[in-house]
Amino acid sequence: MAGELAWFIANILPYITLAVMTLALVYNFVKWLVIPRPVVWALFPAKHNTVDILIGIVKKIFVLPGPRKVDISVWILAMLFHIGLIISLSFHAKYILLPSLGPVEYYLGAAAGIAAAIGTIGFFIRRIDMAKTKVDSTFADYFALILLMATLTIGAYLRIGGIMDHEHMWLWVRGILTLSPVDPPTHPIFLVHITLAQIYMMYLPFKTLIHPIAILFGQKVVLDERHIYPR
Amino acid sequence: MVEERTIEKTEEKVVEIPKWRRVFDDYRAMSDEILRPDEPKKEKFLEAMKKSLSKQNWPFLLPYKLTLEACTKCGTCAEACSTYIGSGRKKIYSPVYRSDMLRKIYKKHFTLTGKLFGSLVGAKDPTEEDINALAEAVYRCTVCRRCALACPFGLDNGLITREARKIFADIGIVPDELKENGVENQLKYGSAPKVPYEAFMDILEFIKEDIEEEKGIEVEIPVDKKGAKYLIMNNAGDYLAFTETVQGIVEIMNYLGEDWTLNSPRTGVNDVVNYGLFYSDEDLVRVMKAHVETAKKLDVEYLVVGECGHAYDALAHFAKDLIPPEERPFKVISWMELLDQFIREKRLKLDKEKNPEPVTFHDSCKWGRTGGIYEEPRRILQAACKDFREMYPNREWNYCCGGGSGFAIMTKDDFLKFRMETYGKVKVEQLKQTGAKIVATICSNCKGQFRELINYYKLDMRFSGVSELVANALVYED
Ligand code: HEM
Ligand code: SF4
Ligand code: SF4
Repeated sequence: MAGELAWFIANILPYITLAVMTLALVYNFVKWLVIPRPVVWALFPAKHNTVDILIGIVKKIFVLPGPRKVDISVWILAMLFHIGLIISLSFHAKYILLPSLGPVEYYLGAAAGIAAAIGTIGFFIRRIDMAKTKVDSTFADYFALILLMATLTIGAYLRIGGIMDHEHMWLWVRGILTLSPVDPPTHPIFLVHITLAQIYMMYLPFKTLIHPIAILFGQKVVLDERHIYPR
Repeated sequence: MVEERTIEKTEEKVVEIPKWRRVFDDYRAMSDEILRPDEPKKEKFLEAMKKSLSKQNWPFLLPYKLTLEACTKCGTCAEACSTYIGSGRKKIYSPVYRSDMLRKIYKKHFTLTGKLFGSLVGAKDPTEEDINALAEAVYRCTVCRRCALACPFGLDNGLITREARKIFADIGIVPDELKENGVENQLKYGSAPKVPYEAFMDILEFIKEDIEEEKGIEVEIPVDKKGAKYLIMNNAGDYLAFTETVQGIVEIMNYLGEDWTLNSPRTGVNDVVNYGLFYSDEDLVRVMKAHVETAKKLDVEYLVVGECGHAYDALAHFAKDLIPPEERPFKVISWMELLDQFIREKRLKLDKEKNPEPVTFHDSCKWGRTGGIYEEPRRILQAACKDFREMYPNREWNYCCGGGSGFAIMTKDDFLKFRMETYGKVKVEQLKQTGAKIVATICSNCKGQFRELINYYKLDMRFSGVSELVANALVYED
């Protein structure tokens, strides 16, 4: 029984997760794409050609000028969180291809994890504080952060505790990627970790991953000053 | 129906100030006759909201739905909003709180997750009191859109305010200053304050006499001249209260000997305001079309938008998406662009010494953030004034004066106090820091708000349009 559950969590759920994520993400994107083009109500300085608009959007994504100008705490937390996340995820990806970590990667990876954790905890505390001063967050908002914190904490525990047999984990990941699943690691904490991670990933498109998509449309609307009738 | 009355003693007499039942905060923007707080309106509201979420509302549907659905509630927008900051950071005035009042209804009635998971995802079925509160809440935001500039995702709480105002307008809830005594008067009488032809001509006569007396020069004020190159259309407030601005324009155009005209109410509409912009797309377009018809009737080459910010937004921007070019056979330009062009062509001889006092410039939201007219007024003021000083923050990050989206003409109950004690506070600090004696601005609504602010906070400064400062600096060759 336990073996079947482990097999399901480790070798079947990943495909379901991937399918749910992909479909939901595509839906989230197309949903905005099919809404008719709005009138221009740009915020100046705005742009009047596609290249400048694209550059503008990229700048907004990487520089986050709004938070930097008016609320530096959001800017710091967002930078810590996202940069931490990007480094951490890219090391995960690299590890799948080359299952070894050099000392630099080891410490950089740890720093990235800590940065992401500070960002996450920071956002959580901020939400509690904002309920007094700005707006109430919903259970769904907190749930996204709780899932993330739980996943990160257990992940860190697995790593610091040296619990996992990396060789075995690597074979399991390879198995999923090559569509020929092998027996997964069955440490219960590991199974909890990947279960949470997958629930989180399925939850992402319905909550957290709305914002990276929305930024493309939202910033385009305020950056684009090309009228329907140019004259 | 007046529920509560306060008696305030002044030196001479006892004045009774009506106070309506509080439904959102300590203020009321709309009277009981308009808001009808005891009349059930939830069903009608939901019906109108459904319409606002349909393709019928295509001009704003994308940013509207995007803001409703994608807000992460990060709270950045709050720190951009001067109602919020000026109020001492009261939660109810934060942009995201206000939008969330509508978002809760949206989730409950128009999304599957809201229907399935209810309050877990922030959905709430509104009570009649929630609807009343929202109706007032959307008149606590000047739609300055500084929050939209700050939002990391470009989401627009100002637009949400406007969309909610549209829903309420659809069910007959709009401040009478904007609709009955605004748009409807304007379309019927040619100007919102109903200035008749004779009175209008008298105003121009006074202006002519004033210039001739002060400057010892003769001026012509062409009115309703067909086929003129420039039709300069002003805000009615500039004819009635801030006459110096029109006086400045008249003097400058005479100095240049340009082919221009003003227009009287007989030609259609001679008040460039468009209050429809603040609460309804239908009324926005009705007024815009009336402006277009007037300019067509006079067969002018340029419709020049005088010192009125939101009129520029309507005519220079929305018209380009909502009225096909063949229906508006003239160009729209702002008076600032034109004046800047005259100065750059060196056609105006100006002596800065004639404006020796320190001058600062207030970027009106509708001219700046949503209009893109930043550099023209600065070049003009630098050419006409000895000591021009920037206000900080400025340009796209400037704070709204607090008179935007119709507030400048709204004073019911103690709404004026709201204007003074929220945005007003922030603006006054900004003004003080400049050390300027004159705050120049190119919007009649901003002027109205500055008049009150200077009075309320006893500031040692005055406000001015840009035109009169330029006229004052003109050098006449003998
Ligand atoms: C286009 C790129 C992105 C931009 C510009 C961006 C920006 C932001 C900003 C400004 C915040 C703070 C707002 C908040 O409190 O929610 C934030 C939060 C967050 N972002 Fe992103 N993000 C991007 C992509 C991503 C991606 C791909 C993920 C994937 C997991 C992600 C996950 C998160 C999480 C978990 C939070 C904290 C959310 C919370 O407080 O509930 N972001 N992001
Ligand atoms: S800044 Fe944007 S995402 Fe953040 S709370 Fe405000 S509207 Fe929502
Ligand atoms: S539009 Fe202006 S007044 Fe309204 S919420 Fe945004 S910043 Fe505040």
